[in-house]
Amino acid sequence: MKKELITLNINGDDHEIAVYPWRTLNEVLRDQLHLTGTKLGCGTGDCGACTVLLDGQSVSSCLTLAVEAQGQKITTIEGLALEAAANKDLEKCELDPIQESFIAKGAIQCGFCTPGMIMSTKFLLDHTPKPTEAEIRAGLSGNLCRCTGYNKIVDAIADAAEKISPTK
Amino acid sequence: MSLPQFTFLAPTSLSEACALLEKHQGTIKIKAGGTDMIVRLSHRAVKPDYLMSIKKIPGLDTISYAPDTGLTIGALALLRAVETSPLILENAPMLARAAHATATVQIRNMGTVLGNVCNASPSADNIPTLVAMHAAIVASNGTTEREIPIDEFFLGPGRTSLQANEIAIAIKVPPLAPKSGVSYQKISPRSKVDIAAVNIGALLTLDENEQCQAVRISMGAVGPTPLRAKQAETYLTDRKISDETLAAAGRLAAEDASPISDVRASREYRKLMVEVLTTRALKEAYGFAKN
Amino acid sequence: MSTDHNFSVVGKSLPRSDGRIKAVGAAQYADDIFLPGMLFGKLLRSPVAHARIKSIDTSAAEALPGVKCVITGQDIPKVKYGNWRLVPESQDEYALAIDKVRFIGDEVAAVAALDKDSAEEAIRLIKVEYEELPGAYSVEESLADNAPVIHDEYHQDIPNISLDRKIEYGDLDKAFAEADLVLDDVFTVHATSHAYMEPCSCVAEYDHDGRLTIWTSTQAPYFVQCLLASTLEMRENDIRVIKPFVGGGFGGKMEMRPWEFCAAFIARKLGRPVKFTLTREEELATGRRRHPMRIHSKVGFSKEGMLLAKEFNVHLDGGAYNSMGPTACFLCGNFGAMLYNYPNYRYYGAHVYTNKPPAGAMRGFGAPQALFVAETQMNVAAEKLGIDPVDIRLMNAMETGDEIPGVATISSCGFKESLIKVAEMTNWREKRKNLKPGQGLGLGCYSFISGGVFNWFNTRYNFTSAEVRAFDDGTVHLMTMASDIGQGCDTVLRQILAEELGLKVSDIRLTAADTAVTPQADLGTWGSRVTLMAGNAVRKAAQEIKEELFRMVSLKFDLNVIHDLRCGDGKIYPANRPDRAVPFGEAVRMAQRAKRGEPVIGYGSYTPRNKGLVTPAFSFGAQVAECEVDKETGAVEVKFMTTAHDCGTPINPMSVEGQLEGSVHMGLGYALSEQFIMKEGKTLTTTFLDYKIPCAEDMPPGISVHVDTYEPDGPFGAKEAGEGLVSPTAPAIADAVYAATGYRCMDLPLTPQKVLAGMNKI
Repeated sequence: MKKELITLNINGDDHEIAVYPWRTLNEVLRDQLHLTGTKLGCGTGDCGACTVLLDGQSVSSCLTLAVEAQGQKITTIEGLALEAAANKDLEKCELDPIQESFIAKGAIQCGFCTPGMIMSTKFLLDHTPKPTEAEIRAGLSGNLCRCTGYNKIVDAIADAAEKISPTK
Repeated sequence: MSLPQFTFLAPTSLSEACALLEKHQGTIKIKAGGTDMIVRLSHRAVKPDYLMSIKKIPGLDTISYAPDTGLTIGALALLRAVETSPLILENAPMLARAAHATATVQIRNMGTVLGNVCNASPSADNIPTLVAMHAAIVASNGTTEREIPIDEFFLGPGRTSLQANEIAIAIKVPPLAPKSGVSYQKISPRSKVDIAAVNIGALLTLDENEQCQAVRISMGAVGPTPLRAKQAETYLTDRKISDETLAAAGRLAAEDASPISDVRASREYRKLMVEVLTTRALKEAYGFAKN
Repeated sequence: MSTDHNFSVVGKSLPRSDGRIKAVGAAQYADDIFLPGMLFGKLLRSPVAHARIKSIDTSAAEALPGVKCVITGQDIPKVKYGNWRLVPESQDEYALAIDKVRFIGDEVAAVAALDKDSAEEAIRLIKVEYEELPGAYSVEESLADNAPVIHDEYHQDIPNISLDRKIEYGDLDKAFAEADLVLDDVFTVHATSHAYMEPCSCVAEYDHDGRLTIWTSTQAPYFVQCLLASTLEMRENDIRVIKPFVGGGFGGKMEMRPWEFCAAFIARKLGRPVKFTLTREEELATGRRRHPMRIHSKVGFSKEGMLLAKEFNVHLDGGAYNSMGPTACFLCGNFGAMLYNYPNYRYYGAHVYTNKPPAGAMRGFGAPQALFVAETQMNVAAEKLGIDPVDIRLMNAMETGDEIPGVATISSCGFKESLIKVAEMTNWREKRKNLKPGQGLGLGCYSFISGGVFNWFNTRYNFTSAEVRAFDDGTVHLMTMASDIGQGCDTVLRQILAEELGLKVSDIRLTAADTAVTPQADLGTWGSRVTLMAGNAVRKAAQEIKEELFRMVSLKFDLNVIHDLRCGDGKIYPANRPDRAVPFGEAVRMAQRAKRGEPVIGYGSYTPRNKGLVTPAFSFGAQVAECEVDKETGAVEVKFMTTAHDCGTPINPMSVEGQLEGSVHMGLGYALSEQFIMKEGKTLTTTFLDYKIPCAEDMPPGISVHVDTYEPDGPFGAKEAGEGLVSPTAPAIADAVYAATGYRCMDLPLTPQKVLAGMNKI
């Protein structure tokens, strides 16, 4: 079976790669490009650890065929704070306000769900800048976390929303 | 688990797509959003030689409404689009509720309503409401189109009456008669994000005396295909709506349900839930119909 | 007992030290590691629950292009392993089955190939001929006459009982005869999954120096090192285990596992790095789980509500191997006698083999089961005796100084304060009387250990150790084998060290959990041992440094011997003359000069001695659940959780809260939605669609407060937080459901179906 040559635009950069048609976007990101910030937690679209944005829409990269992601802007966790991903001196880098809120509010424990959680939050706040608590919880419906019990994540998202779109 | 090997096809027109279906009969599977198909491939529940995506076919993602013909939802209209579409929220809000009740945000950003219908899973969230609302599936073989009434669409779990060379390109939902109301009810073991253990769609139309003029009740996850609660429908037609008659309709619906016991619920529990949810659905639909 | 609470770093809600790297997606977990030339591994697992292996044909797999290695039980050393090294005959597992398979998922063969697809394909090509044997899938089936014997070579007098334990004190017969109320109930509790978000993964590499390095998702690098050494027939020092970032464990990653062995074995054989990563399906279908138990509990009260006696008979459904079952069997007996003073107590626990995936350690470890029973019976007794559930508990509650005969002494206890507090916060007494239909309020309590004492691993090292190196630029380097798996010990140990040395957290570099580098040894992250045990070791190491620096400062200012010295604000100074301060770095420089160039290094260790057999310190707490039950569907919605708990000094309150909320989440799933549905040894719930951990919308809001206590054996007064609290949630919810419906659950989980059945509706 032949590989197909495709171009994926990831975090602003074009990557030309040869892939089998049955490769998922998750496999290509992780195994081929070693962009390992995007995790794989279940492979069935139930846990959300693999969430990325395709043209701004949050999707499960484990259920997306890489060949079908061509022509769309792919944003991964590494693309949210490009400087931080490239520059290892994290203390001095400016992060996305969502990332800052997750850190400050104790929304991170083991961190494995965190990239997916943050990408889902990005999608939520891009479309619903002032979410209610119920909207935040609904916005996380596709992201499982086993460590935090979610409540600190909900607090962090409310905090980030306030930072991004302050209440007058 | 890696996906099994397949040749990927992405036709850019319906005629091309239908020709491919014809050519690779028996060895080809269609995907739209892929949220169900990719999981089934990964579990080796299906092993097609060809996987055909219809996402490159233009014009299939529209949602439109006309007062005489009602709603048309294209094959590529995402669950998320149906959930948030002003046209749907205004003209068939229960379709939006059912779309919203489907899986997770990410899945709704990828998957389609029609894909959910064509998978013909007994527990599909979007089917019961569409059945209640007399929906029809528009199928194309590349040259001609035909409408399949939804009551004739499902043959068994994963099986539909689409011909081997046909693609479902849209679903049509006729406008509601005056004094009609619709409801979608669902119960699942985890309270919020979960696959349905039982789900019910109901459409109730009242006559000028506030009696039930017509009613359609569709029950999901209680049989190999969506089941109509025929006894309950017959009973309720031309009858006055009251707590008693709605409760009786619920009991009759449970008699028509033939659920199995599985990991999601037992047969007994499902039967009882058909009764409870049917009564609740009818009550809500009645509330909408009155106003 | 409260002492100096003027801490400058301890007690502060500092953000975790690994927050930023995790937030930007740069934290590397095992599966994120890619080494040049790395092969991908895959395990072949048994599709049958109990069988003899007649033959294995690997020829087709070996012939597949890209496949570099196929191994079966015939290729590996015949060495069994298990965490209970103290009782070698209890070590009952081979990394790959040699003679028999005992559960669906038992590892039979392993493949390494150039890519994942080929490895998976090769697995499908291996042909195994099984001679199927009858299986036993429950405690009852395993203990029936003529039951199949699961391990011919190892069991107690009764086949399939791998191990049992008895505890007895007092005169039970007399006490039961005198009791006014005797409750005699049988409970069943179910298995649940750790469901850590990171599936297990490891990468092994064998270098030219003959050393094996393995990066693995583990809670206990030292266990992996020792057991790899024995099963690979290598020396411990030739094996280096590195814990990368770990995506949660909850007890599920504290043993050596077959994929670690296979990765190491193949890496050594081929001289190429090998990675194994499990799928979620493998995790859920075959992974370790919480012990299901059948518990027969008989408990006697006086009419005034005093506990007189308890007889506690527990059968643990252990699955196919011992795993951590023996410890669960011991601890369940201890937890059965915790929280309250039971003057007369008899425990019999038996660990029973069944043909199911083995149960292992899981957060709470014997306590959620024992306390679901104990707390439910407490609530039943309160009702039958007409006493408020809070009052009957206050009457019997343990206090500081209480003893469990032969087991432990309670060195700090805020249980009564927790009860009083939680009743106040919820307006318990009033609210219980004014419940609306379908509404319920319920109470559950807990106690838990702060690390274990009983040395079942038979380590020859101290339980924890730490090395601190001080630098003349005013920074220090902490080296510890304590393993942060998400709970936050890298941050907490930094806080403890910063407090002791008067430094800022940012002055501390940390290297952790690398057996080649960090000081031998640490038993790992389990049993809520890290804060107390590793914290004490870190403090001791810091104190050694302090002593040395104090000498320098004393010399410099020619201090009178009665002067006290302090560390603070990055300086060292006489307590009465803060103006005469020497910067920390300068003091280090002085010490190095004085020692003619020798570095300033402190070493500390901790091993609990004279602390009984169980733990140095117990935590306590009480929790109230407010629920609403839909009486038509049986659906239970938890509306609010209120918790008051005693964890000693919270080193990082935000971190403690996060642990508590995570515990409530796990307790909620245990109570309501999580379960393995099995059929003849086959797990049917193998995706997160069917194995239902609560999602964000299911999680109730809540509030928690900690009551003020100070644990004398803990670092700065700290003890366990965040494991014990997994226990009270299920009994509290079950009690609330009883208040709402009249159905008293004695068989978890409380599915809607069971609630309706309990209300006699189906």
